[in-house]
Amino acid sequence: MSVTLAHVGIRYRAGVEVLRNVTLGIGHGEFVAIVGPSGCGKSTLLNAIAGLLDPADCEVSGRITVDDRVAQRSARRDMDLGFVFQRDALLPWRTIAENVEVGLVIRGVLGKERADRTRAMIQMAGLAGFEHYYPHQVSGGMRQRAALVRTLAYDPKTILMDEPFGALDAQNRMILQSELLRIWQLTPRTILFVTHDLAEAIILAQRVVVLSRRPGQIKGVYEIGLPYPRDAFELRGSLEFARLETTVWQALRDEFRAEAGKPS
Amino acid sequence: MSPTWSLALRRTALIAAIFAVWELATGGFGLGLQLWSPAIVARPSSALAELGPYAQSGLLWKDLSTTLTESMVGLILGIAGGGALGIVLGYQRPFAELFEPVLVSLNSLPRIAVAPILIPLFGLGIASKIALSFFTVFFVVFFNTYLGMRSVDPELVKVIQVMGGTRAHLARFVVLPSVFSWIFAALRTSVSFALTGAVVGEFVGSTAGLGYRLNLAAGLLDTKRVYLILLILMVFAVFLVEVAKRVEGRLLRWRPSAVLSN
Repeated sequence: MSVTLAHVGIRYRAGVEVLRNVTLGIGHGEFVAIVGPSGCGKSTLLNAIAGLLDPADCEVSGRITVDDRVAQRSARRDMDLGFVFQRDALLPWRTIAENVEVGLVIRGVLGKERADRTRAMIQMAGLAGFEHYYPHQVSGGMRQRAALVRTLAYDPKTILMDEPFGALDAQNRMILQSELLRIWQLTPRTILFVTHDLAEAIILAQRVVVLSRRPGQIKGVYEIGLPYPRDAFELRGSLEFARLETTVWQALRDEFRAEAGKPS
Repeated sequence: MSPTWSLALRRTALIAAIFAVWELATGGFGLGLQLWSPAIVARPSSALAELGPYAQSGLLWKDLSTTLTESMVGLILGIAGGGALGIVLGYQRPFAELFEPVLVSLNSLPRIAVAPILIPLFGLGIASKIALSFFTVFFVVFFNTYLGMRSVDPELVKVIQVMGGTRAHLARFVVLPSVFSWIFAALRTSVSFALTGAVVGEFVGSTAGLGYRLNLAAGLLDTKRVYLILLILMVFAVFLVEVAKRVEGRLLRWRPSAVLSN
């Protein structure tokens, strides 16, 4: 197993319980999406896996392992993770190329190899010609693309994605979904993808996990039988897709509805 | 005509008009309209005429270089010292809490009021002026740096941590660039503060410098010389701030606002 969660619960010291008894195993090279209403703890779960939670703020019960290593702050380097945030989180003072190579610098990749890998990633993201632009000088779609290849550049075994396309407009979101599919089909890695967009989850993932509203519990796990290679543009509007969306939506609907009735 | 040029022209015209009105109000242009006696408000033409003798005596260059040296050394030391303390206290919160009342008290002191105690400590030479210039710059830079340390974007920190970055990587990729942007954003303010420190220090006790010469001329009721030196100081300050603006624009070119704001 690449990532295992055994009876994981997360409670903030302030008293809010965000996640309860989550048990899930994600195999090597598997693409799993987690969907759930806002505030169900899906982002917190990703942070817990990456060892990014501050123990002073919250308490994690149960057991989380990444490649058989217990997830914790001190194991960050060994876990060999990538993390793509909702906001691109590019370093504003570094150019696109300098951002893409950050992970390589940290991993100690030197000289020509680093330059070649960086160039290849920039090519793959369609950012050639924009290497020397600063993040504020390019569009949101380009920034998110750069953030994606910044993570791919150092080739982590497992990639956690926290609503990575949530801040993009509908068109850019579809384009990036399609690119992510293409890249993953080329070199399958373990991806745990958090989103509140059910269509996105079905188009991308092999399995979709539905979380309930807070405290988040697993409400259902759905196998998406759609064969790869998938075409993100073709899938939307297909019968198979509609059937899957209806099925998973049954589970998700009640959670969304309950959230809607609550003052936020 | 391009809009930039027309603005430059209109600005020049405005400055010329101010001088013309001033010249007129002090009895210039042979019109005999004298609102103030030349002993109280100098006529601009006669103040500028002082430039020749001042330059020929060799004192102008001596004073300029003295004031420049004092303010620039004070500025550099102030930035280095304030920046270093800001970074150290930013990393060591318990120390920051310990030092807070001391720093806040020192900062609330009108900076230039300490000038009289610096003369006995550092003498009449440039050291006391450097010290005052340093003192005025130090706190501006320190508070900016400290604020910068506290406002480092936590998400950028996470990016480096997930990649397995060490504390050194964090400092190099996130903390220092973020803090430097705050320091350089305060550069223009720091430059004017440094110059103020140097000139006021010269007022209090000195043997050379624009502030010294200004004070001397005022004591001798040499109004023309006083106005001349004020004009020189103004040009000097505008020049230094312009240089600071260029440096800042260059160093912070990654920032969208760095180009737009002035």
